[in-house]
Amino acid sequence: MRLTWGRVLAWAVLWFFVLATVLPFYWMLRTALSDNHALAAQSFSLLPADLTLGPFERVFGLATPEEALAEGGSGASLDFWLYLRNSLVVATAVTVGQVLFSSMAAYAFARLRWPGRDAWFAVFLGALLVPPIFTSLPNFLTVKSLGLLNTLPGIMLPSLFMTPFAIFFMRQFFLGIPREIDEAAMIDGAKPWRIFFRIVLPISAAPVTTLGILTFVTTWNDYFWPLLVGQTEQSKVLTVALGVFRSQTPQGAPDWAGLMAASLVAALPVMVLYAVFGRRVINSIGFSGIK
Amino acid sequence: MSTAAVARRPRSQLGPALVMIAPAALGFLVFYLYPTLRGAYLSLTEYNVLGSPVFVGLRNYVDMVQDDVFWNAVRVTLLYVVLNIGFQTVLAVGLAVLMHRLTKSVLIRGSLLLPYLIANVVVALLWYWMLDYSIGIVNAVIDAVGLPQVAFFGDETWTVATIAGVNTWRHLGYTALLVFAGLQMIPASVYEAAAVDGAGEWRTFWRITLPLLRPVLVLVLVITVTGAFQVFDTVAVTTGGGPGNASRVLQLYIYEQAFARGHFGYASAMSVVLFLILAGAAFAQMRLLRAGESDLT
Amino acid sequence: MKRSMLAGAVALASLSLTACAGGSSGAEPDGQIDYWLWDANQQPAYQQCADAFHEANPDLTVKITQRGWDDYWSALTTAFSSGTGPDVFTDHVSKYPELVANGQLLPLDEHVADVDLDQYSPGLADLWVAQDGKRYGLPKDWDTVAIFYNQQMVEDAGLTAEDMEQLDWNPDDGGSYEAAIARLTVDANGVRGDEPGFDKDDVAVYGLGIPGAGYENGQTEWSMYTATTGWTHTDTNPWGTHYNYDDPRFQETIAWWYSLVEKGYMPPLETTVGASVNDNFGAGKAALNISGDWMLSTYFGYEGVDVGLAPTPTGPNGQRASMFNGLADSVWAGTDDPEAAAQWVEFLGSTDCQDLVGAAGVVFPAITSSAEIATEAFAAKGIDVTPFTTHVEEGTTFLFPVTDHASDVHAIMTPAMDEVLGGKADVSSLTEANDQVNALFE
Repeated sequence: MRLTWGRVLAWAVLWFFVLATVLPFYWMLRTALSDNHALAAQSFSLLPADLTLGPFERVFGLATPEEALAEGGSGASLDFWLYLRNSLVVATAVTVGQVLFSSMAAYAFARLRWPGRDAWFAVFLGALLVPPIFTSLPNFLTVKSLGLLNTLPGIMLPSLFMTPFAIFFMRQFFLGIPREIDEAAMIDGAKPWRIFFRIVLPISAAPVTTLGILTFVTTWNDYFWPLLVGQTEQSKVLTVALGVFRSQTPQGAPDWAGLMAASLVAALPVMVLYAVFGRRVINSIGFSGIK
Repeated sequence: MSTAAVARRPRSQLGPALVMIAPAALGFLVFYLYPTLRGAYLSLTEYNVLGSPVFVGLRNYVDMVQDDVFWNAVRVTLLYVVLNIGFQTVLAVGLAVLMHRLTKSVLIRGSLLLPYLIANVVVALLWYWMLDYSIGIVNAVIDAVGLPQVAFFGDETWTVATIAGVNTWRHLGYTALLVFAGLQMIPASVYEAAAVDGAGEWRTFWRITLPLLRPVLVLVLVITVTGAFQVFDTVAVTTGGGPGNASRVLQLYIYEQAFARGHFGYASAMSVVLFLILAGAAFAQMRLLRAGESDLT
Repeated sequence: MKRSMLAGAVALASLSLTACAGGSSGAEPDGQIDYWLWDANQQPAYQQCADAFHEANPDLTVKITQRGWDDYWSALTTAFSSGTGPDVFTDHVSKYPELVANGQLLPLDEHVADVDLDQYSPGLADLWVAQDGKRYGLPKDWDTVAIFYNQQMVEDAGLTAEDMEQLDWNPDDGGSYEAAIARLTVDANGVRGDEPGFDKDDVAVYGLGIPGAGYENGQTEWSMYTATTGWTHTDTNPWGTHYNYDDPRFQETIAWWYSLVEKGYMPPLETTVGASVNDNFGAGKAALNISGDWMLSTYFGYEGVDVGLAPTPTGPNGQRASMFNGLADSVWAGTDDPEAAAQWVEFLGSTDCQDLVGAAGVVFPAITSSAEIATEAFAAKGIDVTPFTTHVEEGTTFLFPVTDHASDVHAIMTPAMDEVLGGKADVSSLTEANDQVNALFE
């Protein structure tokens, strides 16, 4: 293609957005390697202010409370490996459960014929409009009466079976699969669930991956609900643990360095996943089948 | 869409259907429908979470009509939605078109998606730090250029736009990739035909790309608008609703009434109203979506 | 199919159940006392107390959890309603009345009957007796406010430490206090606030830092001024039922305080969102701040800043004034072992623990003799804390207002004060806010 001024400008705009997206991550790293007390005085330095690994030591609990306080942190630390395991268990279980159960329901809504189907689908979809804050307290009470407060299943349950979005998303895909595929099987006498697992699900790998990744990331990053029901050490997930580093007013300034270090650490597992599956993740985002 | 009834299979598949929706139905009934009904009931009560609910009829709704802070919250939320969706959609379409015309680089698309992988809370904190009036890097740069510093979160005229911008930053790459995927569904032959006719990029965009993209855009809007109305994390972590009530969005006000001030009944009543607003918005969009479908096929 | 699907779900659930066995704190007394506090600076000292307590009571162990102030109260409420609250926690006077009203606090009277309440600084113990006449906390510490100033800047302005200690203030022209603030303000061209040609729109160093608009109490913002005019927050304290934000003395003082923003001596309110007032001081962007003693270690921790302390200025009544706030330790009504919890509270309120806290030199313990240890500990760090203690010695303190509906009052006054300090509304608008506040008590 020829190089015109228009194309140069277009590339410049594109790179501007790429930089605007990536540079804040550098700033996160730079802050995380700084001495919190020195940040205020060196706000314009592009390098870490008084380079130190202190913030990371604070996050992993390797610094004594006295050392932490001297660098402007708090005595609190993250039991990183425990919270990492909790986050992994919750995010994996929710992803598997939600994608599977939502796909099954979506198939019933898209392809099976039964009375009241469309009405029920509309009702399910209506749940998309219920503000999460509205259901959080009743759900909290439900989880409490199930005796699952401060347990990982308690954190998983509300999103383990379905979300309206997941059903909507998968139904859209199933609607686009040519009728001939499952009808042929049906004429052979195969039962619907068999068709679903043997034929429909395997050819739906792309949307299932997309939905799975979206669900995993959403669950991993969820903050409000796990904050309500997972308060103990044993049930804390990484995002909730980050709350420990939140601002300390009126005791003083936030431990920005520690906070950024903790944020990086919390994001690390997702980043690693991303580095490994990056290409697949990016290519999977789309409307495969949605017309 | 293939909803046209086919008369070849007269038998209802109710049995298998029930089996397949059973787990989802369980989740729906227990964690969506039941709490919604319970919340609707609580909106008719006075309830402080630690005690037990006392029925007060419609009093919460009467109070709400007279509550200036509530109406302000509705205004602020609408302003946020307009700004956030506006920025995000325009930029995402622009970026997607740029990528589509310029490059298939996975690295570029990969970089743009990065913010979406980070938790809302973290994104909010990061920008809160970078946009700090006195010690944030952005203001340091603005100052170095010789412009007056901007209190992004502290100045009433900026605060909602800032919050909308921060959330745009997080969602832009993801939205752009969705639009990008939509662009890839447009057959290349259409563009070739346009090129043969001698249409420029600008003209091609307005005459071909945008109309063909409309169904995808509407779908993206349905998802993003519903999410935007429920903005909470970003505000809670940064301004906490201030200065004054300038960024007190509806969901934050609901949260405060419920969990900080112990008026859970009143908070539930406001949630019911938020639900009605969302339902109205979604209804309007669904009509658009339906209108859009005929365009593509 | 249905069966195996369910089995799968159950297997998943039980897998994660075993992964978090022992998650919730048991209802049976287990010898562990959960204790929450919010100030990270104090955690090391209280850990020493916990160790000493364990040594004296080998069958009891104290587990300390620190949560930042912003999360502390919402986390506490959720923990209470879910039945997993801490046995003992640090309590604040603005919060405990609502907890008492909801039956979340254990009355301590029978448990601490033999504690000598006179050992605490006067007034502190009384704060923790609720309207039902029962005691819900034992005092742990107190705080007052003072002026923190940048010694170098004061010297450059031609002022001395003595000048800083003898400032006077009035709501009309601000007295020598405002004169000093004006002198300490420097614009980008190096012109001082009291010199001709001062550019108030391009200020490099503000004379006075602003923490915020002060909510309903103004502890470190404006209460040290208003109290010297004879104004009080409420009709009586504790347990007032009428707030006085409509009083001309209050509104004149706030108007004066806001005038510092207009004159360019104090940063606009909008700049306070994000940057903490102390970080701005640490970055050399403000010459003088008013803050509490709990901030001493933060202020003296800034590199490259020589911090000086001075008492708050004298006001129209010829005296200084400082809000006197006292924290206490309370026991949650749902504790699994009230006896052990009360024992720990008693220990926290005794010289055994408060001497340790005093020796750490971070706050002033509630017990008079322990507070003296703290004074010495600060002195050993090279900090003369007389500007804080002088209020207690000369009786110029007044108590933090304790009333019902504190969270509603806070929610009404926060935006109202923001509007005034942001220049969006006149001080007279506070009269309307006051009406809303007082309507809560009808």
